Amino acid sequence: MAEPYLQMIGITKQFPGVRALSNVSLAAYAGEAHALIGANGAGKSTLMNILGGVIRADAGEIRIGGKPVAIHSPLDATANGIAFVHQEMAMLPTMTVAENMHIASFPTRLGWVDRNTMVERTRPILRRLGCQFSPDTQVQHLSTGDRQMVEIARALLSHPSIIIFDEPTSSLTSREKARLFDVIRGLKAEGVTIIYITHFLDEVFQICERATVLRGGEMVGSGVMQELKPEQIVHMMIGDLGVEVHQKALKANLGEPVLRVTRLNREGVLKDISFILHRGEVLGLWGLLGSGRTEVARAIIGLDPIDSGQIEIHDGKTLRVVRPSEAQRWIGMLTEDRRDEGLLLPMSVKQNMSLANLRGLASRWMLIRDDEETRQASRLVKRLNIIISNLRQPVRTLSGGNQQKVVVGRWLQVSPPIFIMDEPTRGLDVGAKAEIRNIILELAEAGNAILVISSEIDEMIALCQRYLVMNRGQIVKELPGSATRNELMAAAAGVEMADAASI
Amino acid sequence: MNETKSLPMPILLQARNFALRYGFNIVLVAVVLFFTLTAPRFLTAANIIGLLHAAAPLMVIASGLALVVISGKLDISVGSVAFLTTSIGTLLMVRHGFDPIVTLFILLALGALLGALNGFIVVVLRVNPLITTLGTMIGLRGIGLELTKSTNIAIPEEIRRLGNAAIGPIFVDILVALAIMLIIHLIHTRTPFGRQIVAIGNDADTASRLGVRVNRVTFLTFVVSSLLATIGGIMTVIQVGAVSGNIGSGLEFTAVSVVVIGGISLFGGEGSILPGALRGVLILEIIRNGLNHLGADPYAYRFVNGAIIFIAMYADSLRSRLPVIARSFESEEQPAAKPTATG
Amino acid sequence: MVTQSASDEYKAVQLLSLRRRLADDRILRLIPIILLIAVLAVLAASVPNFFTSRNIINVLVQASTLGLMAIGMTFVMISGGIDLSIPAIMALSAILGAMHLRDGGSIAVSCLIMLAVGGLLGAVNGFAVAYLKMIPFVVTLAMMTVATGTSIWITNSISVPVTNEALFDLVLDRSFLNIPRPVFITALVTILAVVIIRKHIFGRWLYAVGVNAKAARVSGVPTTRVIFGTYVISGFMAGLTAIVLAARLGSASANMGSDSIVLDIVSSCVVGGVSIYGGVGGPLGAVFGAILITVISNSMNMMQVSFFTSLIVKGIVIIAFVAFDSFRRR
Repeated sequence: MAEPYLQMIGITKQFPGVRALSNVSLAAYAGEAHALIGANGAGKSTLMNILGGVIRADAGEIRIGGKPVAIHSPLDATANGIAFVHQEMAMLPTMTVAENMHIASFPTRLGWVDRNTMVERTRPILRRLGCQFSPDTQVQHLSTGDRQMVEIARALLSHPSIIIFDEPTSSLTSREKARLFDVIRGLKAEGVTIIYITHFLDEVFQICERATVLRGGEMVGSGVMQELKPEQIVHMMIGDLGVEVHQKALKANLGEPVLRVTRLNREGVLKDISFILHRGEVLGLWGLLGSGRTEVARAIIGLDPIDSGQIEIHDGKTLRVVRPSEAQRWIGMLTEDRRDEGLLLPMSVKQNMSLANLRGLASRWMLIRDDEETRQASRLVKRLNIIISNLRQPVRTLSGGNQQKVVVGRWLQVSPPIFIMDEPTRGLDVGAKAEIRNIILELAEAGNAILVISSEIDEMIALCQRYLVMNRGQIVKELPGSATRNELMAAAAGVEMADAASI
Repeated sequence: MNETKSLPMPILLQARNFALRYGFNIVLVAVVLFFTLTAPRFLTAANIIGLLHAAAPLMVIASGLALVVISGKLDISVGSVAFLTTSIGTLLMVRHGFDPIVTLFILLALGALLGALNGFIVVVLRVNPLITTLGTMIGLRGIGLELTKSTNIAIPEEIRRLGNAAIGPIFVDILVALAIMLIIHLIHTRTPFGRQIVAIGNDADTASRLGVRVNRVTFLTFVVSSLLATIGGIMTVIQVGAVSGNIGSGLEFTAVSVVVIGGISLFGGEGSILPGALRGVLILEIIRNGLNHLGADPYAYRFVNGAIIFIAMYADSLRSRLPVIARSFESEEQPAAKPTATG
Repeated sequence: MVTQSASDEYKAVQLLSLRRRLADDRILRLIPIILLIAVLAVLAASVPNFFTSRNIINVLVQASTLGLMAIGMTFVMISGGIDLSIPAIMALSAILGAMHLRDGGSIAVSCLIMLAVGGLLGAVNGFAVAYLKMIPFVVTLAMMTVATGTSIWITNSISVPVTNEALFDLVLDRSFLNIPRPVFITALVTILAVVIIRKHIFGRWLYAVGVNAKAARVSGVPTTRVIFGTYVISGFMAGLTAIVLAARLGSASANMGSDSIVLDIVSSCVVGGVSIYGGVGGPLGAVFGAILITVISNSMNMMQVSFFTSLIVKGIVIIAFVAFDSFRRR
């Protein structure tokens, strides 16, 4: 057998407090696509950022074509024939396709941009990618799929021998996806080495020859696709089944409906989202990154606009139609990015906790009653077991877990009937995670309705009475609370597994 | 999957798009038409040449500012730069007997230096460009007033005569201004520097990620802006025949108006020197000239000017919120999730 | 084990940098006070007439109008905006009020006109920024030009004398401790502003918007209305300043709102710890900053430094403070 073209051997990377990669190896062959698979936080992007020269490994070696190479910067990576097609596209909308590809290194003649050369360089690449648009088209007039092609075209400009694709299909239609796969097949035929990062297992089986699976920064499996089964890969991604703990008590009957969403649409983002949330229920909105989970939550409370659809909320007497901007009155929202959209970092714990309840704390002159504010805050600090030195401490100085509890406490002051919690325990340590989960279960026990969004399958399993599975902006499946991890993972990855439960 | 075909746009929306796209051209035509009909001597060759003559300094200054605005920033120190450099130039010639040509080069160097000062404060000290140029706007004017003791100082007679230099019926400074606009236009559209300004205006982070040296380009943009402000200031002083405390005062605002009316977005990344900035200069100058012909109160002009820029800015903020209609070249399907979806 | 000790070390580093940050904050808050003491010390040594009660009262009276405008600007700046049109609006309100008096109107109506014009023009700014989502800097720059243009237009650049003695009596009365009333007016407004900022629901919303508008919106803060409100307040403060200044100067003119005053207002706020990036600072600091700026102007004046040089000094002060602020944020 030929020697692998790209070898990464014993790569280890330590971030403060976290070991991101430990002794990971990967071997990819010229003319083949190598899938890099793993759940969120498994270490895929760290590994690829090391290959791309964005970060440096603490230990390990990279060999290309059998020779060890040193990659300390993105420029080194380019010099070694490595190109990166990022998931997050770097587009300059008011500029042309050719300009977008050449922005950092225009071909020039006497200091002027040599447009002819630029266009002549661009044209064959676009043709090779099967693009119909001209190099002079402004990017703002291109569809998302076409923009993805521009991103790939930019990578091809340096004639790379290794191309990393990071989730290239998450925003493509099925037809665009088919075109992308043709392009990848063409590149393979030319002897290019492809690294393909994805969540979608069906794609891996369609386009890749080999796969490496990561979990928690370690390599848990690798092999030739023909010898692997989807169930095996799912198993590798999520690990042993032994630790599955059911904290929740599955209820036989659901409570009365408190939130009914009907055919919510937003062009290109959400399609026909309909569901009902019941009293006392923890409903899980499950899906992979980019499936539209967060967008559903944001649309319901009016943070993002919608094109059509109806939202009804139980106002104590009956279900009535509300506008999204009104829905905020009944819904407490924990956003996925608590630093960016949740906390007022330089402000005090007390002020952060009263933010949603200021009207309730105000006296006749709309002055905030200080004693009441303090009373409420200290009550919830005690109840949620928030570790602080005093209520005036800036939230910035708290640990992640305590910060998240502050946001939860903010909503408990108002005690809305409905909660939407997007990634409620992301980035927290094990103890804090457990505490937040217990709070969620207690809230549901007390009769609140909770919609939970999480990337962590264990969290969903521990909390949810019912699951809605999302894929590409649609709800594709509903699963009962008794669903197993395999069923959930398979549904989200788009794999049909008749005998999943038997693994 | 193929059921979401794009619907034909409602008439009203189409009308709005049309108005936003061609609005300023329509305004230009309407303004010319209006004054032609109401002021009999408006549309005469002499008046139009006079109008362009008066507009020449503004053309130069606005094209420099346009580059800064296209990069997504703002430079309101241009008026003060024009004032300070020309004050120094006049003093050098009048009090110290400097040769005009030498003075010209000294002033150009000085203009570039003041631009470098702005650029340094913005890029190295990382002070918000608005505050930076607000500070230099007032500070530089202070230096200028100090040096001239806020009196009027006439420039030497032989230079004053340059103000009326003409080739045939056309004043030389009109040609100079148009030539400079053309050069800036070519720099904007045809050089790596110009294209990277546009890239920064689109999104500085993205540009930086793609390898554009954002700091260096930004710095140079401020230098060019001040350099052109200096040239514009020199043209003004030659026309007026003297420096006085109000050279270039309010100019920053007029130049910003020109840029916005010219369709250059204050949000960055969009717009052109030719025809954009030129159109902006023409609209403003025609209104000023026309109101003059109608015998309107000269003070009313500033009010009209303010109203025009308000409308232009509103159009700009509307346009920046307008969804760009994506033309998909081969698929009728709509993508199911937006590219940056994270949830 | 490695992980454990590494994370401990990380925590220790974090704690250290946290302590340093808190120390930074304290130093930052002390800087204007240190600066003031330094300036006063220099003055005591070099300007013999500075510490006379007459000069001190003079400084306080001058600082009182600047302070009122700085309070208005503070509200706008906390929300993350800026209002360059305050002096221009102030001048226009004063002119309209003075014209009403000149035409035989009553003092009460005249004062009301000044406040209403200020508030109304502020509301125009606020509407453009909050509802039309236009850029604050440019909106208020446009307002500055329009208001100044209107002032020049309606007065033909001639100042309008305020002839009504009663207005002087009302504003310039110094019956209490021989301290002129503008000082009391500013003190009162400062207290009111501090109460609004610290105790009132609006103040809390304001900081939330300035610190993190997205988080505020998610938590149900009416962000648009809050931003609108800040410009109305700054316009209203411009109107109030117009009353005091028109009475003090005995006339109203377009020159009252010259653009160097904008620099003074921004300097007062920035020196007083109000961040141009929003969410930080308060009216007390801004008023303190106004006093400091006035002392600097006044003393440079007494040291025979020209007005124009003082502009340069102020330009440097403001850029230094903003640069310091942006360094601190990194």
